[in-house]
Amino acid sequence: MGPRQITLEEWELRYDVLKSAGLDEPFYGGRLGRHLGDGDYRLRNLRFDDSAAALRLWNFLLTEEERLARARAEGRKLVGVMKDLGTTAVMAYALDNVVAFYPDGAWWIPCIMENSDRLLAVADSLGIGESFCPVRAMSGAFVTGNHFPIPDLLTCSVGATCDDFSAIAQRLEGLGHEIVWWEMPHRRAPESDEETVVLPGGVFAAGRSQVDFVKSQLEVVRKALERVSGELLDGDKLADTIARANRVRRVLGELRRAVYTAACCPLPALEMLIAEMLAIHYCSDRDETEAVLEELLAEVHARITAGVGFGGSDTAKVFWVNPVADLRVMNMLEECGGRICGTDYMFTHALDLIPEGIEPMEALALAALADPMAGSSHDRAARIAADVTAFGAEAVIVSRIPGASHCCAEGRVIGDYLRGTLNLPVLEIEVPPLCDAVRPGLYTRIEALVESIKQQRTP
Amino acid sequence: MIYAGIDAGSRAIKIVLLEAPSGRMIASGVADQGIQQDKLAAGLLRRLLEENGCRESDIGYTVATGYGRGIVSLADTTVTEITCHAAGVRHLVKEARAVIDIGGQDSKFLHLDADGKVRDFAMNDRCAAGTGRFLEIVAARLGIHLANLGELARQSRQPAQISSMCVVFAETEIVGLLASGVEPADIVAGVMNAIAGRTAAMAGRLSASPVIFTGGVAMISGMDRALAEALGVEVAVCENPQITGALGAAILAMRKDGTQSAVEQ
Repeated sequence: MGPRQITLEEWELRYDVLKSAGLDEPFYGGRLGRHLGDGDYRLRNLRFDDSAAALRLWNFLLTEEERLARARAEGRKLVGVMKDLGTTAVMAYALDNVVAFYPDGAWWIPCIMENSDRLLAVADSLGIGESFCPVRAMSGAFVTGNHFPIPDLLTCSVGATCDDFSAIAQRLEGLGHEIVWWEMPHRRAPESDEETVVLPGGVFAAGRSQVDFVKSQLEVVRKALERVSGELLDGDKLADTIARANRVRRVLGELRRAVYTAACCPLPALEMLIAEMLAIHYCSDRDETEAVLEELLAEVHARITAGVGFGGSDTAKVFWVNPVADLRVMNMLEECGGRICGTDYMFTHALDLIPEGIEPMEALALAALADPMAGSSHDRAARIAADVTAFGAEAVIVSRIPGASHCCAEGRVIGDYLRGTLNLPVLEIEVPPLCDAVRPGLYTRIEALVESIKQQRTP
Repeated sequence: MIYAGIDAGSRAIKIVLLEAPSGRMIASGVADQGIQQDKLAAGLLRRLLEENGCRESDIGYTVATGYGRGIVSLADTTVTEITCHAAGVRHLVKEARAVIDIGGQDSKFLHLDADGKVRDFAMNDRCAAGTGRFLEIVAARLGIHLANLGELARQSRQPAQISSMCVVFAETEIVGLLASGVEPADIVAGVMNAIAGRTAAMAGRLSASPVIFTGGVAMISGMDRALAEALGVEVAVCENPQITGALGAAILAMRKDGTQSAVEQ
């Protein structure tokens, strides 16, 4: 029998079956249903992959708060790397006594806890209302202190990032949280007399002066990390941490390639979203991230070899742009007869390998500059088009994040670019943190997209 | 054998019965939507069958579409209204390349390929300001019947500018316009232009022609002209626009049963 997507209730029985078959779990393992006790009520509305590897992925994700609390208790320094998606966390993990995490990840708490923790209400009370991106939940988490300890160091990238996030971080600073700011310039084409530097991923280029500027900004972060940890962050440590980051990225890269190009989809969209997110910040444990991804990859390879998966070989292949605020929507793709076939969750630069064999700070600056959000929407569309072609997707869903300044209009730019260059249908949707009220409309759109893909296949 | 298409929309349930293999429409009907949608659909279908001397067992296949498609228990399968409207319009207007469907709850712009298949589409997802609900509200506020809005709009000399992004605020804006002495005809024309403007913005660069206008709002005279002006292309109202979705559903019911109508051959 092939893999299935099962409910939380069904996982109870499945867990017993796996356990009796000798399931070996890491220390954070256990029944998925136990997370309901933490208030993670949204799990009741999700459908999960039924593999032991997926169970490990979910348990890893849902125990991050415990890991952070333990790190604090052990006296390790906690660093909140805000807004940056994949560079400063790599730097922080070079230090023995530091655990970096991604406070922005709190944007999923209103979904996971179905608003029971009232983080959005706290954000409202701070004047950060619903015209802002749902990442405003992070400010509520800082106020309540219920989801992560207040970090020993907070860093935040500003400039060509996200206006909403900058505003929210500034409000945090106003509340007394000291932040080390570093600036990300808008990535532009090199001047005619300037050295052109090709960035990781091979799609974008920048001028030498921009690379040097980002290096100088990352030096600010390096000094802050050294100050808080009391350790020297030298070139050897950075080279090693880059190599370790690339190990994670290679596993994730192979997982993406295997899943998105398999004849029959071996892993659902929801689990792939969670897996990809690990690349940004390692869910507060880099070694375990690698192990979790390797187990998922082994499961995927086994399924491909066995020719099993979700939805058969005729499912509609959909490329997904931007993460969804409500995880429930990812399940809809398979429910509507689609499958995930490529993604751009705004951190494609965290999937590309960081250059090795060059000066580490230069390598990190190159990686940071490859951030899709640092360039124009047109640039981002070009990268998406390249990935859509590579994975053979038949349509694209651009998922807008309500209130997020960086994606209020880019969906149209991306859509027009893809229609013009690839002649593909592009569906734009908007997903709030809890989509229940708009679920019928979202479902209709995704189902109609799948229907139109299948119509286009018939002569 | 006959084939049934049921469009369970937000404001009305529409049913079309097609005869196979001719593809001739033998009956169509519309009933107001209500609480027990499934019963309403079953009742309307029963009435249409009786009026035409048919029995339920004569139905070969039934497709349900529309907002309430999932709760029509007598349907064999469901298909989205996007696919159904495309099929219905294609059946009526072979050369159609774009479809605007404005219903009670949402609006859509469909881009069709040369074979009439949906190539791409856009749907409004923000609020009711681009839908028939906006017209219902203005009709209620002005105390006139929905069907008479078009006639009133034709008397407009200077359509009002309705700038609110939300129907609730727009209603407040209309109250303000009335208080300041703006003619009802100018307000109705302004609302029509606002809906048309939103539809054109939604369509964006999907635009193609000829454009066929369907859905309940297409029955309001003058909306087609407002859309044509906003889009900069000719817009034609299709025959029986309210039942196009149901017609498409019936056509797809025929196809799903392996029957190709004479019209399609």
